[in-house]
Amino acid sequence: MSSIDYSRELSVIEGKPALREIDDLIAKPLETKPNIKFFIGLGITLTMLAIGVIAIGLSFYYGTGLWGNNNPVGWGFPIVNFVFWVGIGHAGTLISAILFLLRQKWRNGIARFAEGMTIFAVMTALIFPLIHVGRPWLAGYLMPYPNQHSLWVNFTSPLLWDVFAVSTYFTVSFIFWYVGLIPDFAVLRDRTKTKIKKAIYSVFSLGWRNSNRHWQHYEMVYLVLAGFATPLVLSVHTIVSFDFAVSILPGWHTTIFPPYFVAGAVFSGFAMVQNVLIVIRKVFNYEHIITIDTLEKMNKIIVLTGTLVGYAYAMEFFIAWYSGVQAEQFTFVNRAFGPYAWAYWIMITCNVVFPQLFWSKKIRRSIPVMFVIAVFVNVGMWFERFVITVTSLSRDFLPSSWAYYTPTLTDFGILIGSFGFFFTFVLLFSKTLPVVSIAEVKAVVDGSQPSHEGH
Amino acid sequence: MSENNKNQNKKIEKSFWKSLESYQNDSKLNLENEFEEGVTDDFNPSQLNGISRRKFLALLSASAAFTAAGCSDYHDQGEIVPYTNRPEGILPGSSNYYASTCNGCSVNCGILIKTNLGRPIKIDGNTENPINNGKICAKGQASILDLYDPSRIRKPLLNGRETNWSEVDNSIIAELNKVSESGKKIVLVTHSVHSPTFKSVLDKFLEKYPAAEVYSYELFNNHNRLDGWERLYGNRNFPKIRFDKADVILSLESDFLGKEDNFIENTRLFAKKRDVNNPDEFSRLYSAEGSMSLTGMNADYRFRVNPSNQIEFVLSLLNELRKNARVNISLPDDLESLVSNYSLSRFSEEKGIDQIKLNYLLEDLLKPGKNALVYAGNALPLEVHYVVNIINEILNSTNLYAHTSAAVEVLKLNRHSDFQALGLELSSGNVGAFINLGSNPVYHFQDAGDWKQHLSKVALTLSVVVNENETSENCKYVLPAHHYLESWGDSQTTADVYSLRQPVIAPLYNSRQTEGILLAWTTGQTYTEDLYHNYLMENFKSSIFAENKSPLAFKNYWLLALHDGFVKIKTEDKTLTPEFTTPLQIPNSSKSNEFTLSLTENYFIGDGRFANNGWLQELPHPVSKITWDNYLNISPKRANDLNLKMGDMVEVTSGDKKLEVPILVQPGMADDVISIELGYGRTNTGEVGKNVGFNSNIFLTSNHTNTAYFYNNVSIKKTGNFHKLISTQEHHAVDDSSVKDFHKIRNIIQEGTVDQYINDPEFLQHHKHKIFSITEEHKYEGNKWAMAIDMNKCTSCSVCVASCNVENNVPVVGKDQVENGREMQWMRLDRYYSGTPEDPEVSNQPMLCQHCDNAPCENVCPVNATNHSTDGLNQMVYNRCVGTRYCANNCPYKVRRFNFFNFRDYFADAYYDNEVTPLVNNPEVTVRSRGVMEKCSFCIQRIMEARSTAIKENRELKTDEVTTACQQACPADAIVFGDMNDENSAVNKLRKHNLAYHVLEETNVKPNVTYIAKLRNIHSEDA
Repeated sequence: MSSIDYSRELSVIEGKPALREIDDLIAKPLETKPNIKFFIGLGITLTMLAIGVIAIGLSFYYGTGLWGNNNPVGWGFPIVNFVFWVGIGHAGTLISAILFLLRQKWRNGIARFAEGMTIFAVMTALIFPLIHVGRPWLAGYLMPYPNQHSLWVNFTSPLLWDVFAVSTYFTVSFIFWYVGLIPDFAVLRDRTKTKIKKAIYSVFSLGWRNSNRHWQHYEMVYLVLAGFATPLVLSVHTIVSFDFAVSILPGWHTTIFPPYFVAGAVFSGFAMVQNVLIVIRKVFNYEHIITIDTLEKMNKIIVLTGTLVGYAYAMEFFIAWYSGVQAEQFTFVNRAFGPYAWAYWIMITCNVVFPQLFWSKKIRRSIPVMFVIAVFVNVGMWFERFVITVTSLSRDFLPSSWAYYTPTLTDFGILIGSFGFFFTFVLLFSKTLPVVSIAEVKAVVDGSQPSHEGH
Repeated sequence: MSENNKNQNKKIEKSFWKSLESYQNDSKLNLENEFEEGVTDDFNPSQLNGISRRKFLALLSASAAFTAAGCSDYHDQGEIVPYTNRPEGILPGSSNYYASTCNGCSVNCGILIKTNLGRPIKIDGNTENPINNGKICAKGQASILDLYDPSRIRKPLLNGRETNWSEVDNSIIAELNKVSESGKKIVLVTHSVHSPTFKSVLDKFLEKYPAAEVYSYELFNNHNRLDGWERLYGNRNFPKIRFDKADVILSLESDFLGKEDNFIENTRLFAKKRDVNNPDEFSRLYSAEGSMSLTGMNADYRFRVNPSNQIEFVLSLLNELRKNARVNISLPDDLESLVSNYSLSRFSEEKGIDQIKLNYLLEDLLKPGKNALVYAGNALPLEVHYVVNIINEILNSTNLYAHTSAAVEVLKLNRHSDFQALGLELSSGNVGAFINLGSNPVYHFQDAGDWKQHLSKVALTLSVVVNENETSENCKYVLPAHHYLESWGDSQTTADVYSLRQPVIAPLYNSRQTEGILLAWTTGQTYTEDLYHNYLMENFKSSIFAENKSPLAFKNYWLLALHDGFVKIKTEDKTLTPEFTTPLQIPNSSKSNEFTLSLTENYFIGDGRFANNGWLQELPHPVSKITWDNYLNISPKRANDLNLKMGDMVEVTSGDKKLEVPILVQPGMADDVISIELGYGRTNTGEVGKNVGFNSNIFLTSNHTNTAYFYNNVSIKKTGNFHKLISTQEHHAVDDSSVKDFHKIRNIIQEGTVDQYINDPEFLQHHKHKIFSITEEHKYEGNKWAMAIDMNKCTSCSVCVASCNVENNVPVVGKDQVENGREMQWMRLDRYYSGTPEDPEVSNQPMLCQHCDNAPCENVCPVNATNHSTDGLNQMVYNRCVGTRYCANNCPYKVRRFNFFNFRDYFADAYYDNEVTPLVNNPEVTVRSRGVMEKCSFCIQRIMEARSTAIKENRELKTDEVTTACQQACPADAIVFGDMNDENSAVNKLRKHNLAYHVLEETNVKPNVTYIAKLRNIHSEDA
């Protein structure tokens, strides 16, 4: 018999820090002036953002013709980017809501940050449906509002479902995030010495006094919201996948899309969280809060979802063959061996091959390696959306209307801009709000939870 | 009167009502028929012994209407003001139609011009005119854009500076007199002259200036055909060919369905013998050609024959055929001995041509009871035509000659060599005046020497042109000419038809009618718009009116003739007997292993005349689907040998001429032939055509061994440069295994053979999927619009696309946007190859919005901008469209077109976005803005017009009452449109036809465009 006790509680936070130390540590970035590195970082992200703003401005002025989209390929980079960013936005709510419901305590150190990233990723994603339309100034037509023309939206269109799915997800995620922040705002309010900050924190902490009743209500709301958010995690990307699955296009018209997209979204979301957390824990000295064990657990989820995605890739091929539909079969052969084979193999390598390295514990716990793999996963997941969107469109039913899609500089400008937008928010977030939940971390420090053992 | 025409007339007629009772069809008033007798009823002056009061009044008002339209000052005053005194005959919102004559080429088709508020907006064929029977070509369709071309010259120019007409008149007359006195020559250069009246103006000019000489030319002409005819029959009146009676046709290097002579009428007649309801009568088309032509694409059997081997081919044929001749003709001894040297088996062996197919050909040509015809192309030398004429005598094919409609030459064309001589003459300084009347010899005859230098030696050089061109840029005077839609005129190209041309709009600019200018100079009269008009009337009076001995007063007769656009002339059919006078000399064409270069005319921009027409530049080539360029066609095998890919530049060397051009690997090319289209590489025309493609006129020389159109011993060399050729269809190698025969595997193209169909009429239906719905299908009450396209008739001539562009205000997007796959044409012709790259089988398919019942585009639009009408149309609501492009993604036919830019001003720096060009737009069709999706609407504006007429007349909308623009334009009548809910409609019958199928049927989108599967008339052993 092994001597390991599988029922013992593993400590989430290393080194048994005192509660006060946790307050000090997490509030430190908010209480110190940003250093030059921060400004350099911000400068870079703002430059990227400016590139995007210029690219979008030009697109507004001249038209979507500045992009690579053409007649068979009606959707290009903007939709690829949209799906990519919505996917990134999946990790946060999954970590904070689903893992919360599953009582995964290791999530406490990373939930706040992941949630923040969810908000920013969904905000980034929301740019794209607006700018990708031909006449963005009429995007309001997508809202069902009563009007004297008796014009109504078309509820059979998956794009309309998108509007509701993504906006609901954003709203719920945002509320969830904010509710989680209330006790921390109170901590900050109590710590701060400047008047302005005090006023701001006072407003946002909603009069939190750490009373027992507050905590009771808080825990209940948090639980309910977690329950709310959980189906949304699954529904958003399901509905995003409907944009494709509901169509009749070979390569899009696939029933596997909803689970496959959700798995892919979690996969890419975790990879993005991983990338950012690795930097944050180093810069802010949170190594004992966001522990290597936590990162390892994240890597386990990455290898799980990566394998699921790989399974989906294989299953798509199988079903295409099994269906006996020539157009369907060709679409998949064309993906792997056609003019976009390069994109397909980038996708396979990054999404299926590299994450498999995480089966090795050594690699799972090696920070540089996991950082690189997470970057690969992000690249691969972006290419997955590219492969799905573009290869299917570029060669569909009638060979006469096939065409190759080549993105333009404007397309890349907008892609860069979306990263600039996202990381600008991430940077600002890291200096204005506690990137780790003070209250929740305190809850998982060794000894904070009453235990009957030994008593 | 055909069905179409009746519809046409319906549109011209207006129903008036005097009281509500009459509107509600009160029988007491019995006014139903009051206006039934319209102004456009059939008219035959010879049978007419009087004219009714009503008809006279109608004519009077019609003529007043066009006079009013013609005389009103069109220029936009920038205000919208209602008519206080409305000109009679003009009803805002409704269109007027005027008959006229096209002058785009040498055929001079009868046209019907639709005008709206005084501006011409659409040109279609005049159904009554026997030359073209209601159909015109793509050039004719698009020529309306040239009227509104912003590059037109607006004022007379003297050395590039604007001047005025009176100064021009005075100084030119003085200069002409001076030249005349000095004894130097006056040279007039013009394109072919088909107008008897213009001819008489020219004669007058020659009379006044005896030193003058007229040079009339067409770069692509039928000299050789007429010469071959003349040599055998002693006249130059080549008959109209009854392709509708020909059971077997052998076409030799001839594109009689694509661009040669009256190919529109040929197509119409040819299609009649491709009637699926009459499979026993199907014609069989053999084509022997060096490069892939539209005719070759449509052939049942195709031989790859180098044009310089055609003489050998026809002599071998003659030798074989005369052994079993239907009509025994004793050949003269020289021919007899010559012919007996040739044999078809040797020919097939030496040239590597399939012996079995040649045997089929022989067998078919001699099949008893069948009419067989051999038809040689204009590019072939007269000897070939001569032998072909003899073969046709032997085959007793002369009954396919309609001598009643034989060609007539008003003015004999000059030869290519005349221009070389002219070049010498100009450089010698013997010419005192050079007058260019609308032609462009400087561009066309590059081997006549350095024109710049030539013309600098001439004291008076002037060009009367609509647009500046390479010739006018070397002229002292450049005088703006009227566009043909602003001009008076007449023409006679066939013996039985005399056509009239009338202006349908007041001159847009300070231009003048070419004939009038010349007339004013000759007679010394002051130019007025009426000068030539009156002269024409006088000439008409003394010729046609006098000859026809009509009992009508002249004025009435003239107005009736103008109204109809032509006058029929009685002609007699005749039988010609061949006379062998001149012995046949076989041209000595030395052939090495090098290539034979074949120079052909472009399908759409012609010899370069239409280079500045964006619609035509952007119309995909019917064979290669390339736009905005010309290129060197080469066979796949030779391209492979020389390691050439599409777009690689090669240096073509023919004699001392060299040119660097990009190549296109064209399946079906003979391995020893390369071909290039002329008409490109214009250096001086408007923004549209300038420097598009490569000027290959340099290869043309009168110093040739065969004909001006092909040259032996041409070599090519890869230069290493690359030029991107832009095609609207991806070019896949025919034998690329990954995509081979997809159109057949996916049932996009379904085909069979005639024998197969005769033996088993339901052969196509056997493999059909049974698709059923678990829910109840939507019911359509009343009309439900549908289209059927007969692929047996469609030749891929692309006129439908051109017509659709004009009707539906389709913008020109330019080469860069076509490269990006953003062409806006609502209709396209898909071209698929199967078989081997050497001997491909070509399938064409017109593709447009299928108006699916289960339209996949509709359910994905988030804002309901595309939806279904109660009469079965898939509609686009432009105002509602936000431009998500989801509909286009979900369209399996990919027929939706997105406005990626504001294409009204995108092309060439807003070239077409000026004060004038937008006048070409059809006011019934919305001009789409940026960011909006668009697609074929089944010409909903025409449906609505017919419907409103029906409502006004308080009746049901009748079936087949609506004609779509593509249907109206289709020379083969391959497109049928109508109400499928009507049991008796043509479209309903075609939908139920055994050969009917839908593209991508298994997707269950339930398209409303039915295709009738093509039957190939091949021998059953080959099937």
